[in-house]
Amino acid sequence: MSGHRIAAITRRLLQGFRRDRRTLALLFVAPIVILGLLGYLMRGSSSAPAVGIANEDTGQLGAIVASSLHHSPRISATDISAADGDAKLRDGSLTAYIVIPADFSATAATGSVALEVHVEGSQPGEDAPVVQALQQATIATATLVAGRSVNFSLKIDHLYGGPNYDTLDYFGAAFIGLIVFFLVFVITIVSFLNERTQGTLERLMASPLRRGEIVVGYMLGFTVLAVIQSVEVLAFALAVLRIHNQGNVLLIFGMEALMAIAAVNLGIFLSMFARSEFQAVQFIPLAIVPQVLLSGVIFPVSTEPTALQWLSDVLPLTYAVNGMRDIMVKGADLSWSSLQLDLAVVAGFVILFIAAGTATLRRRLA
Amino acid sequence: MSESFAVSVEEVSKSFGRLKALDGVTLRVPKGEIYGLLGPNGAGKTTLIRLICGLLEAQSGTVNVLGERMPQVGVLRHIGYMTQQAALYPALSVEENVRFFAAINGAEDGVKEALQLVQLYDRRSSVVQTLSGGMRQRCSLACALVHRPELLLLDEPTVGVDPQLRVQFWESFRQMAANGTTMIVSSHVMDEADRCKRLGLIQYGRLLAEGTPAEIRTMGGSQNLEEAFLALAGRKTDS
Repeated sequence: MSGHRIAAITRRLLQGFRRDRRTLALLFVAPIVILGLLGYLMRGSSSAPAVGIANEDTGQLGAIVASSLHHSPRISATDISAADGDAKLRDGSLTAYIVIPADFSATAATGSVALEVHVEGSQPGEDAPVVQALQQATIATATLVAGRSVNFSLKIDHLYGGPNYDTLDYFGAAFIGLIVFFLVFVITIVSFLNERTQGTLERLMASPLRRGEIVVGYMLGFTVLAVIQSVEVLAFALAVLRIHNQGNVLLIFGMEALMAIAAVNLGIFLSMFARSEFQAVQFIPLAIVPQVLLSGVIFPVSTEPTALQWLSDVLPLTYAVNGMRDIMVKGADLSWSSLQLDLAVVAGFVILFIAAGTATLRRRLA
Repeated sequence: MSESFAVSVEEVSKSFGRLKALDGVTLRVPKGEIYGLLGPNGAGKTTLIRLICGLLEAQSGTVNVLGERMPQVGVLRHIGYMTQQAALYPALSVEENVRFFAAINGAEDGVKEALQLVQLYDRRSSVVQTLSGGMRQRCSLACALVHRPELLLLDEPTVGVDPQLRVQFWESFRQMAANGTTMIVSSHVMDEADRCKRLGLIQYGRLLAEGTPAEIRTMGGSQNLEEAFLALAGRKTDS
């Protein structure tokens, strides 16, 4: 071991970084940005779910339960009419609603009474704070029913999902698309970068090939791979992992394919801004990680701080993830306006990325 | 512009930032001629070749190739371009590489002939990343001429090629020129320069001298081409 020789290696390494400002920025700026984003997301999120209360009780007990729910810090309660409940669950304005039946006070006097809880259900565990708030409310109420112990039971009804719906079902729907997007992006950005660095792109540009032909040719080539990968991922998710699916398999596949094509073109576009594979891989924390954090894959967009929601609204993955969940969890079909929007936005990004990728070819070589 | 010129470059200048790569270069190459571009590293040879095949656009002056003002996509079908670094797909075989460049030029029927010309027909199934530097260079040449271009731009084509094969390369170039192919070859190897019909000496982005090898010898005042060039280059930089 020679200290001098070891020092030469260390010095050589640090000298290289001195000229690669981008890598330095990534090393020292990216962790702060990512951690900061994560912190803002988790601390800044509004955690109390919106819950509707339909108090139809003709007696007094219902009002007491409702009042207790209104004061619960676990939920954000509003009064609604039971007839509007399902519609509000569907449009996302409520996470759950509770119906206190007309005979609630009367039945409570007999010692056993049930409350109806309707949960949207697409996100596992979102009924937990509702159930907790209800339990507290009923314990408080039970002491007010003079002379006897009352047994409160909950009748939970899921609009989507159902009792066997678990975390994997929720994340799986998003991850099917995300895995394809991520892998296709990485493979394209590196291959296209190779095309530039090995000099073959220069040769292609000096041939009768048109720029659009290069981009479309690339897109089709990677799409072939991406389609096979999509089929594999989907088959594994549905047949082996048995991820909950209410929707049409072809629609899921269509959304996956759109995401793959978007990833191919994003890769071609971003490859322009990288001079080496090393720099290309750095686009993962820059282009992919914030999208994963902000697209609703992990934290629902509706619970994000408002400023981050604006950011989420302009990210393609937000729409792709929402679309995948709508199809798989809620059984959305093409007649749903939300799915139409998701598909249109993702398709719009595909066109934008194709245009950007094509424009990139000229800029680099002119 | 006379139709008999395959390439005519008129008063072309090109800068990259503050670096003036070409400074008012004028050069005309008649059809069927082998024109040698000579000059030290960084003189502007590659920039000139890239301007001729439309990869770069001149800031001033004009470039006409085969009767068309460049850059023009239609003309590219008739141009073969061999880059300095053997630009190939390393994971494909020799034949797959050549076939690809044939396909994008619509000339798949030329594959076998091109492979035979560079003597890689027997190695056509070898994957490029397993080949030596010289073989890659030959494969790269096959890719450039597979579509039988009217104009062949060769940027230091014989780097890494052994002397024996270099002689064969030049024999092929001579034959192709006899059949009407125009060639612009950049090099800094003087025995290659001697095989060109005319030579242009480029230094600091300017065309310092132009003529047949014999004329260059006279201008430089030496029977040795290398010495003649050094004399010409020195004279211009001193003034």
